Amino acid sequence: MKTYVKIALGVVFFLAIAGIGTGIYLFNLKPKNLSRVKADFVITAPDIEKAFEENEAAATARYVGKVIEVSGEISAVKPGENSSVSISLKTGNDMSSVICTFPPASKTEGLSAGQAVVIHGDCSGYLMDVLLNNCAVASK
Amino acid sequence: MTKNGFVGFFSHTPVEDIKADNNQVASILDTSTGDVVFQVLVKSFHFDRALMEEHFNENYMESDKLPKATFKGRITNITTVDLKKKGTYNVTVEGDLTVHGVTNKVKVDGTLEVADGALNANAKFGIVPEEYKISIPGLVREKIEKSLAVTVSMKYTPMQ
Repeated sequence: MKTYVKIALGVVFFLAIAGIGTGIYLFNLKPKNLSRVKADFVITAPDIEKAFEENEAAATARYVGKVIEVSGEISAVKPGENSSVSISLKTGNDMSSVICTFPPASKTEGLSAGQAVVIHGDCSGYLMDVLLNNCAVASK
Repeated sequence: MTKNGFVGFFSHTPVEDIKADNNQVASILDTSTGDVVFQVLVKSFHFDRALMEEHFNENYMESDKLPKATFKGRITNITTVDLKKKGTYNVTVEGDLTVHGVTNKVKVDGTLEVADGALNANAKFGIVPEEYKISIPGLVREKIEKSLAVTVSMKYTPMQ
């Protein structure tokens, strides 16, 4: 066999292995733990609620799908299905809050109403409240 | 009403199991009329695999264009539920389910449990993606069940 054929075969073989490896890696990729991820936006709970209330379309374009670091005071901690936890933050609007949903097995012990907190979460949008998903308490 | 209700779906095929949870469901139940409304953000569905979540949002649900899924309907036999007496009652819900911008009439059997200071609603039903104009390529179709099993679980507390 000629040398260049061998080299070509080697390259094809290498690419195939790399391709399969990347495929398996991407397929198994878990949703990220956001506690140490650098946030795209740093904002307070009242400010982000106001942004959505005043102009939902603009706020959706700006924040949805982004990692938000939100700070505020906890108004309620509610357990959800499958051991998830939803933490609401005060916004100054009684009808609407920022709801941060933590995935199962999150470290939310010790968090209670009245506490100040900084949370990282994926912004999924606005229903009656601003919703952050896949949340984690920001680590310093 | 509740703001952290649960809707999840599950698909089982020999190739793989797919599961998605949404714990950010807003729902209001008017116990005097039986009227019930659900609203969810499609982007709130959470998958075990990041890539599945991406495909779900971008390829199938087109959640940038159609961010919300809603249900508007009525518990048709709300009068059989005694709200003063604890217990679990069988209920039937009928109404319009809008997913991916397509509205279909659905009829679902479920239960309503009268508990201390809360009403717990539970239901299970099937949903066929094609009925909501969600097109899944043939190659991938084998990996997703023809009819997805949807689970609904709400804990309603009185409005303050």
